[in-house]
Amino acid sequence: MEIKVFFFGILADIAKTGFKHYRNITSFHDLEHRIEDDYPEFVHYNYRIAVNNEITDEKPTLKDGDQVALMPPFSGG
Amino acid sequence: MSENILIEGPVSQAEILNGLEGFNQHPDAGGVSIFIGKVRNDAVSGKYVKAIEYSAYKALVIKEAEKIFSSVREEFPEVKLIRLFHSVGIVNAGEISMAAMVAAVHRDQAMQACKKIVELVKVKLPIWKKEIYTDFTYKWKQDNLA
Repeated sequence: MEIKVFFFGILADIAKTGFKHYRNITSFHDLEHRIEDDYPEFVHYNYRIAVNNEITDEKPTLKDGDQVALMPPFSGG
Repeated sequence: MSENILIEGPVSQAEILNGLEGFNQHPDAGGVSIFIGKVRNDAVSGKYVKAIEYSAYKALVIKEAEKIFSSVREEFPEVKLIRLFHSVGIVNAGEISMAAMVAAVHRDQAMQACKKIVELVKVKLPIWKKEIYTDFTYKWKQDNLA
């Protein structure tokens, strides 16, 4: 399946982009590994996940076309 | 009214005044509490904060703001109207980056609800800030190491 991943905050800085398409993804676990391969520095940061604009604290079950956001701790205000 | 939360650049006084216009439509509200947040020129390791660059997950900001408003209305049933503005992009030191306005039947609930909204914005809205210093270096705030 194809997943569009959005990066925010410092993660976008590290990735040097706000999003990236990942193809032939088999699971969320697989996606995590692919992202860590691309951006090994991510392992040093905490981040939460949103799938299709819904924050989740679980490891999500993905389907083709899903949009996944990686969000470091919020710091608005 | 969560669609108009995010403002490109600093929140202007005109936007705050426009936000207050709707409050006249609630004659049962006797108190309006307003919080205005500005970018502060903090000293950090011998340099000063020149500006903050805010970024946001816009679609999620709207959804999460609705949740904040709902929970605040539930906790403070006297609340009649809520307005919230938050900047995205560059806001220079001294400029306004956030404004929260709450009208309620009595002042106590207006003030408490406004304070609650400000606290929740900081932890619930997917907004990030990058401090830009006078020497043009920068640092992400709350870039916590795992």
